[in-house]
Amino acid sequence: MITFIYGSSSSGKSAYGEERIQGLNHENKYYLATMEAYDKESIKRIERHRLLRKDKGFETIECPRNIREIIPEIKEDSCLLLECLSNLLANEMFVDDKPGDYLLCANKIVEDILSLASRVEDLVIVSNNIFEDGLRYEKPTQDYMRALGLINSRICQDADEVYEVVVGIPVRIK
Amino acid sequence: MILIVGGSYQGKTKFARDNFGQANYLNQFHLFVKKRMEEGMTEEEILGQIFEMCSEGKWVIIADEIGSGVVPANAWDRQLREWTGRILIEIAREAEEVYRVVCGIGRRIK
Repeated sequence: MITFIYGSSSSGKSAYGEERIQGLNHENKYYLATMEAYDKESIKRIERHRLLRKDKGFETIECPRNIREIIPEIKEDSCLLLECLSNLLANEMFVDDKPGDYLLCANKIVEDILSLASRVEDLVIVSNNIFEDGLRYEKPTQDYMRALGLINSRICQDADEVYEVVVGIPVRIK
Repeated sequence: MILIVGGSYQGKTKFARDNFGQANYLNQFHLFVKKRMEEGMTEEEILGQIFEMCSEGKWVIIADEIGSGVVPANAWDRQLREWTGRILIEIAREAEEVYRVVCGIGRRIK
């Protein structure tokens, strides 16, 4: 089963994702962290999230890109929280600061996620709403937004449940 | 405490006036947070001030959702976005009712 959790920055979507995973009864609970530590702010952010999921019984796998590669590590009877698609896409798309083709990146990530979904009993995915500031950006950013929009829509087609988290409140949209 | 959130120009204020009438209103709440952050207050101090202010009487807090865009390039803007989001989560937790307004239509989400 795929549960997709969508929301704005600091909307409480990660906390809700963790709550969902915690409510499941699988033997193995994985937390797939995609954020790369590259400066003080990201280190702080990672620390904050580590603290949030402390004592929640997760096994953390850090994998900033090519998430399909973790499949051999996954044991039977597992659930996995994938946090989060916006970081994963940035890491895939801006390798060496050179933007990759957005359509190729989007398709590859969708394939990776669906492979992962077929390996675990429950997959909970957290993704971001970055689409509503009404601003136009340079091409690489527009491409990034387009790719994330595609990935979100494609995964939500297959998802069993989709929620948008608003000020900490999950609103079911599928 | 009643919390109303939504994008800009969605009719949040009208929705509030139409539905909640006489009350204390704290409108443009995201700017309230911004001003205090500019003044050097911490996230906890801002939250403390809000809860103290709203401890008596009926309060309706109206806020723009400002986190639904591309991550700002500027660190201060990123922090403002995060603080506003997290403070709103705390307010929503305490609020008896939470509404989200889209195109003038308010939907109760708590």
